[in-house]
Amino acid sequence: MLNVDVAADRRDFTVRAALDVADGERVALFGPSGAGKTTVLEVIAGLVEPQSGRVELGGRTLTSTASPRVAVPPWERRVGLLRQDPGLFPHLSVRANLTYARSSRAGHSAAGVELTEIAASLGIEELLAAMPARLSGGQRHRVALGRLLLARCDALLLDEPFASLDAALRRSLTALVKELSSQRSVPSVLVTHQLSDAQAFADRLLVMDAGAILQAGAPDAVVLRPASRRVAELVGYLGFVPADADTDADTDADAVGGGAAGVVAGVHPDRVLPGSQPGQGLVVSGTVTAARPSGAGWEADVLVGDAPFTCRLPSRPDGARLSVTLLDPPYFGPDGGLCGDRSPSPRSANSA
Amino acid sequence: MITLITRISPGDLWSALTGPGDLDPLLTSVESGGVTLAVLIVFCTPLAWMMARDRLPFPRIWEAGILSALLLPPLVIGLLLVFMVGPYTWIGSILDWFHQSATNTFLALVIAEVYESAPYYVLGAQAAFSGVDTSLEQQAGLLGDRPFTVFRRVTLPLAAPGLAMSLAVAWARAIGAFGAVVIIAYHPFGIPMQIFTTLQETGLYTALPYALVLLVVALPLPLAAYVWSARAERRRRG
Repeated sequence: MLNVDVAADRRDFTVRAALDVADGERVALFGPSGAGKTTVLEVIAGLVEPQSGRVELGGRTLTSTASPRVAVPPWERRVGLLRQDPGLFPHLSVRANLTYARSSRAGHSAAGVELTEIAASLGIEELLAAMPARLSGGQRHRVALGRLLLARCDALLLDEPFASLDAALRRSLTALVKELSSQRSVPSVLVTHQLSDAQAFADRLLVMDAGAILQAGAPDAVVLRPASRRVAELVGYLGFVPADADTDADTDADAVGGGAAGVVAGVHPDRVLPGSQPGQGLVVSGTVTAARPSGAGWEADVLVGDAPFTCRLPSRPDGARLSVTLLDPPYFGPDGGLCGDRSPSPRSANSA
Repeated sequence: MITLITRISPGDLWSALTGPGDLDPLLTSVESGGVTLAVLIVFCTPLAWMMARDRLPFPRIWEAGILSALLLPPLVIGLLLVFMVGPYTWIGSILDWFHQSATNTFLALVIAEVYESAPYYVLGAQAAFSGVDTSLEQQAGLLGDRPFTVFRRVTLPLAAPGLAMSLAVAWARAIGAFGAVVIIAYHPFGIPMQIFTTLQETGLYTALPYALVLLVVALPLPLAAYVWSARAERRRRG
């Protein structure tokens, strides 16, 4: 079990993070670049000293700013950190890299069988004699991952490890890390600014911005019901339309606050149906200001009154006017907070 | 090199090096150069590492000190060394207490060679250490290595080619040191002093065999360092 409750000063703000990660649990710390996510990992790893707080791992206190002050050095923490740069030692062969920790830590016998097993599970058994310079990006990450597994770390910290790899390789490596972290039953924390990576990896998502954790929860719950407009923006909502404009259907807007002035509905581009389907969610009509191909479909910029949003459609929108249905959108009050916690009934909003 | 080889006959070389005591300057230079290298390794390697990792207080002052030793003419270094370690200084008094002297002794020769060669080693070693990615050192620490072990297993091997080249340059500078040496360590005679006195006493052609000897002694280490560095780099590339 990893327990973290720390505050660490950065030049521009103070990073405050509180998270408990059970053995075998996978948590993703998601947020924009510069949000303070890496600082949290570095505090856990002992590379940054927090201003206040506590870090515990498996019942051991690694950091405590309360008296008596505790600051276990990184080499005694048994915490594995995998960064975007896999950090292989260029002067050592793959085999020597994999077994590096075994010759550092007392009580570890020769890697032997385990080395062979892990190399096989990572698909790098043919590379043991090679030097890191000869490896591809994906192979380097596999070796770095194997090195952490052989080091028998008590926690796995992943700092955007696969960000520089292509999507397919990223998916396969994320699945591999997920499987191995479950097998090892160690708490794992992934830091990423890619929501898809966080969703693919984590049991629990923590959204972080400007040093603060804004929301924590199951990944789908956070995406479907962001706690605030800011969280909604971070998890991919591309616009907010007034929820009370030209309502032409009976609604229970008051129950969700949708009837109040200033309440807006969040538009997630992937949760939009073309056309008016009142039974499915909020119907919105607006003016198409731009449309462009996106993946297998189209992406359209739409203006509802003076509120812009972007949505993805299966085909190119016909004409300048567009009606779409927002599937079960979250509603936000004038203060930016989420209104209510249940799906609103069918409503519609149209541009003037 | 071509000039030296074409101007010296085997007979001249033989007669210059086979007389009684003819090899003494060579031995003196090799011994003092060896001691100088040991001093550089022991004292200047940690200094260069601390400079590379910003671990020194007032780092600009240290850098200025190293650079001034590099930029000052060796003759001036020799003059200043007289005021630092000469018999009438406090260092000279301490040395005298131990019945030692830093004027016209082997110790003085080593001091002069250290001052002439240290900047080359320190600046080269600093660059070599700066070239080692600190995230690799962090990674080694997280894998269980204490700081000194990290230095031994990661920092030193990665910086080694650069350190070897710096040490080779320092060796060449030390064994050929003349400017500071002529001021505080005229005796014991090293090869450069032998060349100088021979030139003054008997002329250019009789000094040439000693110049060739100096080159032959000074060059192998830099060449070996170059070859070793290149091999280490090739091995890293797989």
